[in-house]
Amino acid sequence: MADAPVLEVRGIKVGYGPIKAIRDCSLDVAAGETVAVVGANGAGKTTLLRAISRMLPLEAGEIRFAGQSVAGRRTHLLARDGLLHVPEGRGVMPNLSVWENIRISWEVRPTEIAFEAALQRVFERFPRLAERRMQRAGTLSGGEQQMLALARAIANPPRLLLLDEPSLGLSPIMIAEAYKALRQFQADGMTILLVEQNVHAALRFAQRAYILKQGEIVAQGTGEGLLADPDMLKHYLGSK
Amino acid sequence: MLAEQIVNGLVLGSMYALIALGYTLVFGVLDKLNFAHGDIFMFGGFVGVSVLALGAPLWAGAVAAFVACGVLGLLVELVSFRKFRSHDAQVTAALSSLACSIILIDATQKVWGTEPVALTLATAIRTASITVEGLRVAWVNIGILALTLLLMAALYVLIVRTRMGRNIRAVADSAVAAELLGIDVTRVTQQTFFLASGLAGLAGVMLAVRTGFVTTELGLTFGIKALAVMAIGGMGDLRGAVVGGLLAGLVEAMATQLGLGKFGDMAVWLLMILVLLVRPAGLFGGLRKETRA
Repeated sequence: MADAPVLEVRGIKVGYGPIKAIRDCSLDVAAGETVAVVGANGAGKTTLLRAISRMLPLEAGEIRFAGQSVAGRRTHLLARDGLLHVPEGRGVMPNLSVWENIRISWEVRPTEIAFEAALQRVFERFPRLAERRMQRAGTLSGGEQQMLALARAIANPPRLLLLDEPSLGLSPIMIAEAYKALRQFQADGMTILLVEQNVHAALRFAQRAYILKQGEIVAQGTGEGLLADPDMLKHYLGSK
Repeated sequence: MLAEQIVNGLVLGSMYALIALGYTLVFGVLDKLNFAHGDIFMFGGFVGVSVLALGAPLWAGAVAAFVACGVLGLLVELVSFRKFRSHDAQVTAALSSLACSIILIDATQKVWGTEPVALTLATAIRTASITVEGLRVAWVNIGILALTLLLMAALYVLIVRTRMGRNIRAVADSAVAAELLGIDVTRVTQQTFFLASGLAGLAGVMLAVRTGFVTTELGLTFGIKALAVMAIGGMGDLRGAVVGGLLAGLVEAMATQLGLGKFGDMAVWLLMILVLLVRPAGLFGGLRKETRA
C-alpha cells in the first residue's frame, strides 16, 4: 500500500457530448514526485485535471487517488481528502483579503498546523503577501495572485497538488519566480502534477513528463530526456 | 411633522433593507434572483400573527417566523435553484421561484382566507409611545429600528468575521474555485437561503406588529419593493441593500410629507429608474463587479 501511487489514471475517456476531449489517457504520480503533462492548446490538459478532481464525469477508465477510486466522490470532499486543484486563472477569491484567502484554504481541511504557524510559513516564503495581507486579492498583480494560489499549498499541505498552467498570463520574470516557488515545494517533497503549455519551463522542472496530443498520451519520459529530444517535441507539440 | 415623517421613513426603510439583504445575499451567492423572497416575507407575517394568536409572547412569534421562513427558503432552494446551477439556467430558476411565490400566496389564502388577518396583541403595546422634545415616537417604531440595527450588525459580523461568512463570500466570488478548495457549495447555498428567508420572516412580523394586520398581498406590494431597493443599492452588495432601503423609506415618507401620498407606492420604483439611469449598477454596484472573475 505504501508503494501505491498517489494518483493512478487508467485509460480514461472524457467528453463534452460528442466531442472527446480526452480519448485515452493513463498516467501515474508517485508520492513525492513532480510530474508534468505538456501539450498544445486544446490537447485536453485542463479537461484531464477537471476529470481528476471530479468536475467532469468519466466515460471510461478509472482514476484512483491515494489508492481509492474517485468515482462517485464529490469534488469538495476530494479536496478535503488532500487533492488541491489550483485551476486555470488561479482560483483566488478576488473580494476576500489575502489573509482571508489563506485562512479559508487552511480551515477547510483539518490540519495539525496552527493557523499562526501556517501564516508564518506562507509569509516567510512569500514576503510580498505579508505586506499585502489586508488587501483584497483582486487588487494584487498577476504574479502576486499566483503566489497567493500557491500559498494554499503551504498553509495546509495537500497530498497531491494539481496545477493548471501556473505560468499562464505571467511575465517571464514572474514565471521564473513561480517556478522558483515550485522548486521549493519539490524540495519539501510535495507531490505535484502540473499541466503546461510552457513546455520548457515545465520539462525543466518536472522529474517525469507526459506529452498529451489531441486527447491521447503520445510520449513520456524524464523531463530532461524529453528536453534533449527537440525533434520529438517539435513533432508532437508543433513548436520549437 | 417633518421629524415624524423622517422617523416613519427610517422605520419603513429599515424593513425594506432587511428584506433587500435577503434578495442580495442570494443574488451574491448564486447570481440569480429569488422571486419567492417577497412572499416568504409575507408568509412570515402570517406565521407571527398565528403564533401570537395562540397567546405566545412577541419574541416567540418572531422566532417562529424566522425558523418557518428559513425552512421555506430551504425548500425553494431545493426545488427552484439546486438543479439550475449553471449560468444559462438563470431564467429557469427565476421562473421556478416565481411559481413558488404564487403557490405560496395561494396556499396562504387557502389556510387563512383572502381577508386581512388582524393581529391579536394588546393594543396598549402597539400604541404606547414616548415623547421626546415634542416628537411623539411609538415604541413599536423604536423597537423595529433597534432590532433591525441589531440584526444588521449581527449579519455584518457573521459575513465579515466568521468562517460561515467567509465561505459565503468565497462562493459569491467563485463557486468553482470554492468547491475545488473543499467548500461544500450546496451547504453554503442552503445557509444563505435560510438566513435570507429568516430575515424576511422577521421583517414580516415587524410589519404586522406595526400595522396591526397581515394580508396575502403584502409580498407583491411591500415585499417586492425590496427588489427595487436591491437594484438601487447595487445587486449583491450588502451595504447597498441597507443604504438603498433607508433611502427608499425616506423618499416614500417625504412623498407623504409633501402631500404626494398617492404616489407613495410608486416612489420607490421611480427612484430605482432614476438611480439606474445614472448608475446602471446601482449606488454600490460595480465597486465589486470589476474585480469579479
